[in-house]
Amino acid sequence: MPPVINKEKCKACGICADVCPMDVFFGTKKGEFPVITYPEECWHEGACVQECPIEGVIKLRIPLQMMICYK
Amino acid sequence: METQRVICDVLCVGGGIAGLMAAIAASENGAVKVVVAEKSNTMHSGAAGMGNDHFQCYIPDVHGDYEAFANDLLYGQFAGRISAMGREAMDFWFKNSYEIVKLWESWGIPMKYEGRYEFAGHSFPGQTLNHLKYSGFNQKPILTKQAREHSVEILNRVMVFDLITDGQGKVIGALGISTREDKLIEFEAKSVILGTGPCVRMWPAPGLQDFNRPLPPSCTGDGRAMAYRAGAELVDLELTAVHAGPKYLARAGQATWIGVLRDRYDKPVGTFLTKPNRYYNDMTLEVNKGIFNEYIKSGKGPIYMDTRGMSEEDLQYMLYWMKHEGNIELIKHLAEEGIDLRKNAVEFMTYDMHIVGGIPYNSKGQTSLEGLYAAGDEWAGGISCAAVFGWSAGKNAALYATSVTSTDLDKVKTDINTRKEMLQDLRSRKDGPKWQEANYALQQIMRDYCYTVKSEPLLEAGLETLIRLKEKTHQYLMAENPHELMHCLEVFNLLDLAELVFVGSLDRKETRGINFIRPDYILTNPMLDAKRHLIRKGPDGLPVTEWRKI
Ligand SMILES: Cc1cc2nc3c(=O)[nH]c(=O)nc-3n(C[C@H](O)[C@H](O)[C@H](O)COP(=O)(O)OP(=O)(O)OC[C@H]3O[C@@H](n4cnc5c(N)ncnc54)[C@H](O)[C@@H]3O)c2cc1C
Ligand code: SF4
Repeated sequence: MPPVINKEKCKACGICADVCPMDVFFGTKKGEFPVITYPEECWHEGACVQECPIEGVIKLRIPLQMMICYK
Repeated sequence: METQRVICDVLCVGGGIAGLMAAIAASENGAVKVVVAEKSNTMHSGAAGMGNDHFQCYIPDVHGDYEAFANDLLYGQFAGRISAMGREAMDFWFKNSYEIVKLWESWGIPMKYEGRYEFAGHSFPGQTLNHLKYSGFNQKPILTKQAREHSVEILNRVMVFDLITDGQGKVIGALGISTREDKLIEFEAKSVILGTGPCVRMWPAPGLQDFNRPLPPSCTGDGRAMAYRAGAELVDLELTAVHAGPKYLARAGQATWIGVLRDRYDKPVGTFLTKPNRYYNDMTLEVNKGIFNEYIKSGKGPIYMDTRGMSEEDLQYMLYWMKHEGNIELIKHLAEEGIDLRKNAVEFMTYDMHIVGGIPYNSKGQTSLEGLYAAGDEWAGGISCAAVFGWSAGKNAALYATSVTSTDLDKVKTDINTRKEMLQDLRSRKDGPKWQEANYALQQIMRDYCYTVKSEPLLEAGLETLIRLKEKTHQYLMAENPHELMHCLEVFNLLDLAELVFVGSLDRKETRGINFIRPDYILTNPMLDAKRHLIRKGPDGLPVTEWRKI
């Protein structure tokens, strides 16, 4: 479940945990990798992706039950 | 639990569009210490957190005669809410909207598209276009920066959960918790402005995931609930609305889609459009957002937002605005799924129900309580509403604050201690239900006893069960950390408001619109058209209702 963080590239700056409107990263400690404590509370608006200073470190994985329907 | 006292002239509860605009205006109008208490982080919090693209406004050079413009406002998505506010507030809103457009432009929010004011969406073909297309993607960081430059103190991760009155109905502060550490914050404020946005999570989510909502699930009607508990009047709380949009990925912003609603076999559902139009979205949806459910129930199958046939330029135009509408992740999902909007049609669905009534405020942002102001989605709604009334509330709250001499919280220490004990109880219980159980139980009751079709026996039965749930919740709920404590307080707020929805529904003995159907009172009563249905806490602590002329 979202968000997915690439630990190879993450610099543990904490910005995602700071801005997340739902506090999905609750419990993240300063200077450490963000922890995804409440993935089910993600709103998928992408604030963490947007504010992350390194492109491609955070990606949202849209859960299967949110897969869009089309023809 | 640690306690911190914050003393200020103006306290803005919620750092959304209304709250930040109010804070900046308060600071410009003489308030020395202005504080914004924000549940998350003002950078991206609230319904406008990742942007918006429609700013409903009147620009004299574009629209000409104001009266003709004003007449057209009474059709379309926001017509009901605008007319509920009354003509004076409506005129105030739109006559002041252009000032905000210019102000935002000066702060760096792009209000023009390719050098011109571009209007599109939310209007019927032939009607005056009153929604300015603006590039709001960065609006929250810009407003946050403006607030800080105006010396506003922003306290992020603070959930305000109750107002403090002097015992005679005057608001003198508020109580909040830190959502990150065990801390109670006592705000001693000369005036308080509520801007906590919409009320989500009272009814079940549109899909099987509670936080998959078109509106932010972190906004749970806290402002309305605390205003009610403090003695303020609320209005039309039983009236509800639904949003609609892409099936299973719940996002607001349907008016940005350039397309025609069609059935499975490409037959248009409505009569307003036959091919995608850049300036006019398919208003069928704004006439009835429940149409997706109705089609399925009547055997006519799914409805699609058919964007096929639009030009490449129109597609790029739409994607540009979708990004500014806060839907950047939706665009990515479409690409990842290989959905090409020039070749594919996306199925739409009716989303969850939410209340549209709220805290009535006038053009000064005043509510029925002295010292208490409100703006934005606390009642009416939309970006320009939040900006215009937030600005006005900030200005008037600051002027009022200059006349207040004392706000001594120590005089109401017992009240504060009772609340503190309640928090400590929630945090100290070792077993018991968590907030999710209570929230789901509430949503179940609202779905089964207080949905679109309501009747006296059903409402009475539902209310009884709700009261039992409320008692149990207050008795047993537990929170393992400050984050869960925040959710417990949200659920308490939702339960209080749900009770008012039931009481208001029982008292509204008529059918009104498509979301309030009383088979036991099938007529719409025209005598109630120009009346507000008010609800407030009575002397015995129970809600009392009143019909009052607008
Ligand atoms: C995706 C999307 C697109 C939209 N597009 C448009 C559009 O184009 N045009 C338009 O007119 N409208 C649009 N809307 C609606 C618009 O965003 C809202 O009407 C507007 O943001 C309301 O402003 P507000 O300040 O009242 O509430 P919000 O902007 O929602 O702010 C409320 C704030 O209060 C905070 N808060 C809540 N409870 C508490 C508490 N207890 N203590 C402290 N803080 C609290 C929240 O975290 C939030 O920051 C859209 C909404 C969404 C979701
Ligand atoms: S998408 Fe939004 S809610 Fe989800 S983790 Fe990122 S910032 Fe938080």
